Amino acid sequence: MSASQTYRISYFGVLAERRGLREEWIACTGATPAAVYAELTAIHDLGMSAGQLRVAVNDEFSSWQHALQPGDTLAFLPPMSGG
Amino acid sequence: MPAKIHFAMSPAAIEVALLAAALEDPAAGAVVTFEGRVRNHNAGQLVTGLEYQAYPALANKTGRTILEQEARQHGLAGACAVHRCGELGIGDLAVWVGVASAHRDAAFAGSRAILDRLKHELPIWKKESYVDGTCAWVGPDNVQTEMAGAVERLPEMVAALHGIYLSDGHDFRGRHGLDRLDHGIVEVRQVECVAGMGLRGDRYFGHQPDFKGQVTFFDKATVDAVRKHLDVAALPAGAFRRNLLVSGVNLGEWIGKRFRFQGIEFEGCEECRPCYWMDTAIGAGIESFLKINCGGGLRARILTDGLLRVDAPTEEA
Repeated sequence: MSASQTYRISYFGVLAERRGLREEWIACTGATPAAVYAELTAIHDLGMSAGQLRVAVNDEFSSWQHALQPGDTLAFLPPMSGG
Repeated sequence: MPAKIHFAMSPAAIEVALLAAALEDPAAGAVVTFEGRVRNHNAGQLVTGLEYQAYPALANKTGRTILEQEARQHGLAGACAVHRCGELGIGDLAVWVGVASAHRDAAFAGSRAILDRLKHELPIWKKESYVDGTCAWVGPDNVQTEMAGAVERLPEMVAALHGIYLSDGHDFRGRHGLDRLDHGIVEVRQVECVAGMGLRGDRYFGHQPDFKGQVTFFDKATVDAVRKHLDVAALPAGAFRRNLLVSGVNLGEWIGKRFRFQGIEFEGCEECRPCYWMDTAIGAGIESFLKINCGGGLRARILTDGLLRVDAPTEEA
């Protein structure tokens, strides 16, 4: 049984609207962005699969398999629409 | 001399005159500037205004990296871009790009590359308000995100893209009994996918309606195996005349399936069966070698527009 870790989560665009907030602290057992997102989507209807998103950890683009540290900031990023 | 680089996210109106002045350079014979403005219509709806939500910490780094990379790629003397965030009205300046270079070709190409990348890579999200009082988040192709997601969620083909290869003509098609032709292969770092047409600049672009081979995926493991088999380590991956060199994926699994790759939708059609020309092009016995386990690659149709980019170590030809 793995211990749970605390992370700060940021949501952007349509994901923030779906979640109803821009930021939250969560405790979960997942230790990669992929595992954390899977836990979040099990609780909330975020309407998008990880395959449609990119993820950033501590303000850098990251892989979904990055090994997270307690207190890391994760940002889930829908398809971007600059310009 | 390193290029002058300036990138900013701005919550207030963009001061074009100041930005343009910063690009002045006695060695620059060409300055290209671009203004992206808020349009009053999108996808058949009347737009009244929009809001950009940004991820400032990441946007500043990403914007600067794009400018630095494209300035190096195109040999620019200076590159500057500012993107608005917050609420904008119709006609407001949303993004400004300016580049300076010795000659015009680099300035045109560089400014276009910067703008294309800002649209797809800058962590910023656009929410449009419409004349009927509704609003919606839109994606990079200006399609409503929710609507796009609701139609169909295609599985993601997880693969690394090592190289993109284009050729402007056929070497073997219709040449039975004749010698091959020799249209060069160009390796590029990004390519535009056009739905139903193909890769812009490739010989199969717009080849025929509903063509199954608008793009071909090819496994890097196959190239490595052929190199080992022939004991030719320097065999260029482009010699196989397939388009996209990928790794980490079993291409055979995607035959007959629709999928997403780098945000673009594809339909896997069939194995790209090797023909006898492979023995001429690569080496004796390679045609049969490639017949094992989808070794010839995967032919696919392109279902949505987008930009494919190399995101893994490239081949040293």
